[in-house]
Formats: sequence, C-alpha cells, structure tokens
Amino acid sequence: MQRLNWRDFDFWLLAGVILLIIFGVVMIRSAIAGNIDLLELNIVRRQIIFALLGLLMVFAATLIDYHVWEATYTVLYFGVFLLLGVLFAVGQAVYGSARWFDVGFILIQPSEIAKIVLIMALARFFARNQHRIHRPEWIARSFLLTLGIAIWILLQPDLSTSIVLFVIWFVMLWSSGLPVRYLVGTAVGGVFLLLVTVPLVFGAIVNPDSLSEDGLIKPYQMWRVHNFIFTDEEARYGEGFNVEQALITIGSGSLFGAGYGQNPQVQSRFLKVRQTDFIYAVIAGEFGFVGTTLVTLLLLFVIWRCLLIARRASDTYGALMVIGVATLLTFHAMVNVGMNLKLLPVTGLPLPFISYGGSSLLSTMLGIGLVESVAIRQKQLNFEA
Amino acid sequence: MNFPERNPNLENTIDPWRIRVFVIIVALVFSVYTLRLYSLQILQGEDYAARAAGNRTQEINIQAPRGIISDRNGAVLARNVASYNVVITASELPDDEADIQRIYRELSTVIGVPVNLNELSPENPYVPCRSEHGIAQIALYGATASPYTPVRVKCDVDELTARVVMERSVDWPGVNIEIEPIREYPTGNLTANIVGYMGPVPAELLDYDLYQQQRLVANRDKVGYAGVELSLQDILGGTNGLRVVERDVAGQVLRDLQPPIAPQPGNNVRLTIDVRLQQLARTALEAEMNYLNRVSPTGIRTTSGVVIAINPKTGEILAMVSYPSYDNNRMARFIPAYYLEQLQSDGREPLLNHAIQAERPPGSVFKLSTAVGALNEGVVTPDQVIKTPGVIELVQKYYANDPGKPQKFVDWIYNDGAHPEGFVQLTIRGCIQNSSNVCFYKLGGGYFDEIPNGGLNICRLKTYAEALGYGFPTGIELPGEENGLLPTPTWKRITQGENWATGDTYIATVGQGYVLVTPLQVLMSATTIANDGVMMQPTIVREIVDGEGNVITPFTPRIKWDITQDNLIKVYAPQAGVSSSCQETGEARNVDPEVLQIVQEGMRLAVTDGTLKDTFQGFPIAAAGKTGTAEYCDNVAQEKRLCKPGNWPSHGWTVAYAPYDDPEIAVVAFLYNAGEGAKTAAPVVRGVIEGYFYLKTIDAGGETP
Repeated sequence: MQRLNWRDFDFWLLAGVILLIIFGVVMIRSAIAGNIDLLELNIVRRQIIFALLGLLMVFAATLIDYHVWEATYTVLYFGVFLLLGVLFAVGQAVYGSARWFDVGFILIQPSEIAKIVLIMALARFFARNQHRIHRPEWIARSFLLTLGIAIWILLQPDLSTSIVLFVIWFVMLWSSGLPVRYLVGTAVGGVFLLLVTVPLVFGAIVNPDSLSEDGLIKPYQMWRVHNFIFTDEEARYGEGFNVEQALITIGSGSLFGAGYGQNPQVQSRFLKVRQTDFIYAVIAGEFGFVGTTLVTLLLLFVIWRCLLIARRASDTYGALMVIGVATLLTFHAMVNVGMNLKLLPVTGLPLPFISYGGSSLLSTMLGIGLVESVAIRQKQLNFEA
Repeated sequence: MNFPERNPNLENTIDPWRIRVFVIIVALVFSVYTLRLYSLQILQGEDYAARAAGNRTQEINIQAPRGIISDRNGAVLARNVASYNVVITASELPDDEADIQRIYRELSTVIGVPVNLNELSPENPYVPCRSEHGIAQIALYGATASPYTPVRVKCDVDELTARVVMERSVDWPGVNIEIEPIREYPTGNLTANIVGYMGPVPAELLDYDLYQQQRLVANRDKVGYAGVELSLQDILGGTNGLRVVERDVAGQVLRDLQPPIAPQPGNNVRLTIDVRLQQLARTALEAEMNYLNRVSPTGIRTTSGVVIAINPKTGEILAMVSYPSYDNNRMARFIPAYYLEQLQSDGREPLLNHAIQAERPPGSVFKLSTAVGALNEGVVTPDQVIKTPGVIELVQKYYANDPGKPQKFVDWIYNDGAHPEGFVQLTIRGCIQNSSNVCFYKLGGGYFDEIPNGGLNICRLKTYAEALGYGFPTGIELPGEENGLLPTPTWKRITQGENWATGDTYIATVGQGYVLVTPLQVLMSATTIANDGVMMQPTIVREIVDGEGNVITPFTPRIKWDITQDNLIKVYAPQAGVSSSCQETGEARNVDPEVLQIVQEGMRLAVTDGTLKDTFQGFPIAAAGKTGTAEYCDNVAQEKRLCKPGNWPSHGWTVAYAPYDDPEIAVVAFLYNAGEGAKTAAPVVRGVIEGYFYLKTIDAGGETP
C-alpha cells in the first residue's frame, strides 16, 4: 500500500464539482417554488443530503486504490448484470416495466450503477487488450461486453441511458487506439445504411404510431423525434409545449436574466420539469447569457480537469477509467443542454451535478471519486529509480 | 528490464492526441451551444420576452349587471334572475382519488349526470351546457385545460337542486354553484314587441363602438336584438369591468398588473307604458279580432292588429300593442333555432312591431291631412258647400294636354245601394264627419269650377302630411321604424316608370294608392290636430334611474314642432301640368290655428253624428275621431285571390281622442283585413279610451262605475 500523496488530490476538480452542486441546489430551490407537491417532498433537503453522501463517496473512492475494481471486476460486472436482469424480470411481472428498486428512503436506479461498473469493466478490458484492439474481433468483444449490460437497459426500455453506455464504449475504444481507418469505414458504412433505411426511418418519424408497441424503439420515443422535427407551437401540453416553454424561458433571460427566483416563466410554472430536465433553462432565464456561460464554463472546467488527470494517470487502466467518467459527464451535459436549446430531441438525461436526482448525483460523485483516486495515485516524479 | 510490449499496468499508454480530439469535439459542440444561446437570448431576446409576457398576462372581463325595465308605475317588464349551474373547479378537488370518486358518485345522484359517460375526443369535445359527458370526463377536461377555472357540469338546475348542492359543497370540495344572470320578462308576449329580447354579441359586431366601449365579450355577453333591449343597449348595458392580471400556468391569478376597473351596472329604465292599459288594449284588440274571425263566413279574416295609446300633451306612449306577438322568455337563455324559424316563417310577422315597422295604406284617416291642407291653402272656405253626389266622373289625365279619359269615382255610401244620391252636399266639417270620398277627391284634385286650379294637388298634400308627421320616422326610441311613403310625380316616374295621373292625386287624398303609413304616424297626425298643432315627440322612455333609485334623466315632454308657429309648410310654384315635378319656391308658411279648430270640429261631429256615432253611443266623455277603411292588395291578398277589381280587401282604421276640449288620451287601432274601420277598429278604440278613464278613476282612488 503506497502512501497517498494528498498534494496530488485535485482540489480544483472537487472545488468545481462542489460549486456546481451548490449552484444546482440553489437553482432547484428556485425551480420548485410554487409547486406544493415538490415542496412537500422537500427535494432541496434531499438533494443536499445526497450531495453530502456523494462527498463522502468521493473521499471513500479516493482512499480505495482503483486497482481494487480491476481485481473485483467479475463480481461487479455480473452483480450489475444480475441486478438489471432481476429488475427487468420483476418489473415485467409486476409493473410491466421498471427502472427503479424502491428501498424505502430512495429509489435505486441500477442503470446509474451500471454506467460506473461498465466504465470499470471497459477500462480493464481495453487496458489489457490495447495491443490488439485494432483487430475487429477484439472490438467486437468489447462491444459484447457493453451489450451485456446495455441490453437490459434497452429492454427496460431506456433508450437514452443505453445510448450513454454505447457512447462511453466508443470514446474509451477510441482513446485506447481505435484505428482511424475503421472510423472512416464505419462512417461510410453508416451513411450507406442510413440512405437505405431513410424511407423507413422517415416514415416512422412522420407517423410514430406506426411503430409496434413491442418493438425495440417505442412509439413514444419516436414521438420525441417527431416533435423535435415537427414542432406544434400551439400545443398547450406535452413535450413540444415543454421545449417551447424552455425556449421562451431561455430567450426571456436576455443578457443578465430576470434575477434569482424572478423569472415568471419559472415561478409561474410555465416551464415544466424545471428541477431536472430543464434546469438549464431556469439558469438561463434567471441569470441570462452571462450567468449561463459562466456555469457552462465551470462544467467544462470540471471535464477539463478530468482529462488532465487522464493524461497524468500512472497507468492505462486508470486513464481509461477517468476518460470513461469524463465521457459520462460530457455526454450528459451535451445532450441535456442540446435538448434545452432545442438542438436535440427530448431525453431524460440530467445536467450533471445540477439537475435534481439522487441516484444520478451519487453515481456521478462516485465517478469523481474514481477520478480523484486515479489522480492521487498519478505518476510520481521518481527520484528513487 | 525490457518488456516486448509496454505493460499497461505500469504505464499510461493512452495517446495524448486522442484526448485532444475529445477536447476539440467538446469545444466545438459547446461553441455551437453558446452561439445558439446568444441567438436565443440576445438576438431574439425581445421576441421571447414578449412571448413570456403573453404567457402570463390575462385580461379578466367582469360582467356588469344589466338594467331593469319597468312600466310607468314600476311594474317590472324585464329583470335579471339567477340561473344555477353546477360547476367543478379541478384545483379544489381533494388529493385522494377515492375521495374524488365519492364526490362524483354523490353528486351524480343529486344532479343526475352519470359519473362516466362518453370519453372526450376531438370528435366529441366538451361544450359547456351542450355536450353530453360524465362528471369524471368534464372534471378531467377542467383539470387539463384550466384547473382554476370552474367548468360547468350541469346547466340551469332548479333552485332546489342548487340549494342541495350548495349545502353539500362543504363535503364536496371543488363542487360549486355558479349563478348566471338570465333575463326574465314577467309580462312575456304582452310587451315583447316593445321590450324585445336579447342574444349573443354577434362576433362581426364586436368592433361596433358601443360594444367596444361596454367591453362586451363574444360568446358570453348578450346584447339587445329587438325592442327597447336593442335601442337602449347603451343605457341598460352598463360597462363591463376589466382586470389585467398576472397568472400562473394553471390559471391562478397572482396579482393585478393594472389598477382594476370595476364594472358599471347598467341603468334602469322606466317606460311610459302602463302595463294595465297595455293588457286592456290587447284584450280589446284580441276580443274584436276573435269576434270578427268567428262571424266571418270565409274563415279567418283578420290576422294582425295594432293599438297605440298616447298622451297627446306629453307624447308618452301609454300602450303599444302589436298582435300577434311572441314569447321573449323563450329566448332568455339562448334563442332556440326552431322557435325563431317558426316566428320568421309566420306570415303574420309576429317578430315585427306592427305599430312602427309595418307600412300600410291609411285610407280615410289620411283625409285629415287633406282637410288641413285644403283649408289652410284656401282651396275651400270653412263654410263653402261642396256638392257630394254618390258618383262623380273625373278625367284621368297623364300629362298637361292629355284630353284624358273619364273615369267614375264613387263615394263609400253609394256602395251600399241605399244612397244613390250620396251625401248630396256638405261643408268641410261634414266631409270629415261623414268621411265623404267625393268631397275629398274634389278638394285634393280639383273639380272644374267648383274647386278650381287642380285643388290642393299632390305637392301641397305631401307637405301638409309631412307637417302632421307622415313620411319620416317619428323618432320614438324603438328600433327599425319605417318611413311610410308619400308619393310625388317624380317618385312615380323613377320607381314606377309612369307619369303621375290625375287619378293618383284623387286616391292619394283619401289615403289610398301609393300612400303608406305606420299606425304610429296616423296616431301622431291626429294627436297634433287634437293638440292645436303642437306635435309632441312620441316617447316610450319615461325616466332613467340608476341602481340606487336616483333619477338620472327625469321625464320632460319634448315639443317636436308646432305647425301653427313653425314654418313647416313649403310653398310650391303652381304645377304646370298634372304630372309635373313639385317646384319649391323656397318660401315656407305655417298653419292657421282656426284651420285646426275646424278639423277638430269635423272629428267631433264624426263621433256625435257621423261615422263613429254607433260605436261611441252613450260614451260619457266627449271624444273626437276619424275612421278609415283602407283598400289594399298586398302579396298576401294576391295569393288568396282577394284582389277583385272594384272590391278589394280592406284594413280597418280608427283614431280618436278624448276629452274633446282638453285631450288626455289619443288612441289608434288598426286591424289587418278587417274591413270597415267604423265597425272593426272603432270598438277597440272606444274600449281603450274607456279603459284609460277607468284606470284614471282607480288611480285617483275614486269609485268606478
């Protein structure tokens, strides 16, 4: 057991994360004003408790040598595999579909744990097989490793989380040395496939209800794409309305925003799902272009710190794990902000650290813990050798 | 030690450039996002701010109570009554679904609307009061559309049900009774033609200045469609209040953005009508019409009629009956299409106020204008004896040098066969007394040397008729008043494409031919004569009273003109030929009071020993009057093939006033297709005049005979 060098603990990263969480709590408080149900749930206090738990988790994960996860990878991977399988089976039997385990005080979302475990598993796999990752069969193996977990989530059905898993897989694959020619080939092949399926896809987008309820892509998911492309500005409810209201909220923010707790779009509840999916719009509406840009920069700062740690990591395994966590944060942020700005269809992905949600906050904090664990064990300037 | 491959467990073998690609992609994506944010917030910021403002500002229009209409004694003719609607406010329903279901079940047993019925769909949407849906479906509509606005579950429940619901609303949070003001007309069809009815504000008339000023809302507020409700909309309607408020997404009002404007209730109107006299007049008219129809050998004879009573000194209309009428109470909540259609397709035109909206030939009541004109113009002197045989032959000329065609003109008395000599000879008083056609033909159109220079002629007849109130609306406060028609040679050339003929003048002098009038005009002409030439402005509005009973506009009689003072009579150049246009000289003159005195005496003689003698037999108060039997041939008569030459169908007219020396009441009666006025309309007039004095005695606290 090597002695930990706390000088290498990335305090900047932790400071950025804590700032974002505090800011998130403050924004949630503004977002839920006027909604009695949410006030009664006391979600601000819950988010603070989760943040404190998450902070403990960061330190705990920092203290544990991340190589432990490499050694216990089999247990973790199959544990999650089983958990998701049981959730799927029970969910199908009891509710028709389920994403959560209700353990009393909190709804545990196994898919959140799955993201972290997948990062651990892929990091181990790519680190061990980096020298042969240019070979298609090994790429396929890594894909199957991802699919083993993603399939359950896809079946839940939770398309956006499964996409997150595949994006993590792809970025880690890329980082460990995916040959560029494959990428070009895939791109060409993808375009070709797209052209072939365009009539099919287009038909499904125009009339989402033509899809089967039992299919892999459900009508409601295609409706989101449909609503994204064909917006009904007159709609008084539904996702089209929500996105339209988010745009109005953002737009009404102007340069400096209406001020904290002052945006009528938010306070009079024209903006829906304010504390989670559309918290970005709340920020934009109340703090304007300047405030929103600052928050975005802070988020990018956190991602940048992670990537720095990835470069300084003492081994490939650690570096890949950090890249995985960075991908998780980045992709969530990109999709969430893109949805708020109506550049991407509606998905339920949260804005990391800021959106309300216990499971997702804990899992991202665990991710930060892993990053710090790698940071604190980074390459030393070795005077002994 | 050298490894053949780098040991990944000991070294970081991630290519830094691959991380750089990652960074570049992230930077690109967020640059695009920042540009988008800039575009939304800075470039389009104002648009979105306006849309945000539009989201949350709402105008709330508060309905102003409508004024009440009553008669001169305070008897209510139109008032507002409460109509009860059962409503549900979704936001006030309890949280517990079981509780909600219990409320629905219990409410269902009270109001009889099923809990679940007909799911809402685009084909079968919720329409308040009309669509048939279950309580749960309507409440769901309310919860999704506007949780803070009550939605109607059942409309117009009876008062008992409303009370039960109100009482139980403690146990039924979210369920309430909404009180909607509905117009009620206690006197119904007795006064429907005067009071009118109401309907929704037509969307195309929302821009109308008055409606704008009153802040009326389409699909909610109602406006007058007929009668006083229409003509006094500005007084009765009041002004709706307005609040501009900020609201949240559920419709809950947060605060006022502008100082609220309170609604201004409409003012109450007290009409000049005495509803007792109105009832009496209607009964007299209906009884007479029923009698005539009962004794008629050819089935239903008279189908519509009018009675109007006026105070000649003040112009106050005391009664105005137009028969048949309609039930305006049936239009109170909404106008039933089948009922309206039924009324519109009824040939008797019950929706018309026949007193002012129907133009009829006046017949002999029009001779009063001829008499005033002939005397005042010196066509005849007061004591000049005019030969009035049963038949005269007049030459029908179409132009100045037309040799003409002789045509026979008969007096009415000649027709009964017993009087081939006619009236033999009469003075002007006698002409009025007996309503001699021959006499008036001669006065109006001239007769050789007896009445030289073409008599009064059509131009001068027109100016005297106008001075007595014909040819123009009287200006009473009721909508849709007709002009009537006073023909001239020019008018005939333009509209009929034919020259004016001598015969046209002859028949116009006795109120036939092209002459058309409204019953109110006939009444006003007689009133003006009775009033020694003073034409009062006829009015239906006595006073305007505010909600607290303060009189805003007290009653003041208005003199329209005085024909003995005001120079209303146009002086014309002598007509070059019978069909020449009327040439005004620009001069004007008035009427000699003595002329009116003579005409009054003629009308008095008609009662004492003339056309009205039989009807007014034994009448204790001195009355004066004039009858009329107006031949007509309108579309209705043509359809029934009644227009036989020489024997046209005729309307009955009578106008009379009393007491003769100091008139208090003047009454006109008109009975469509009833025949001779002296026998059909005169009894109605006598009945109303009798009734007036009967009521006067009662009001004075005296004993009635």
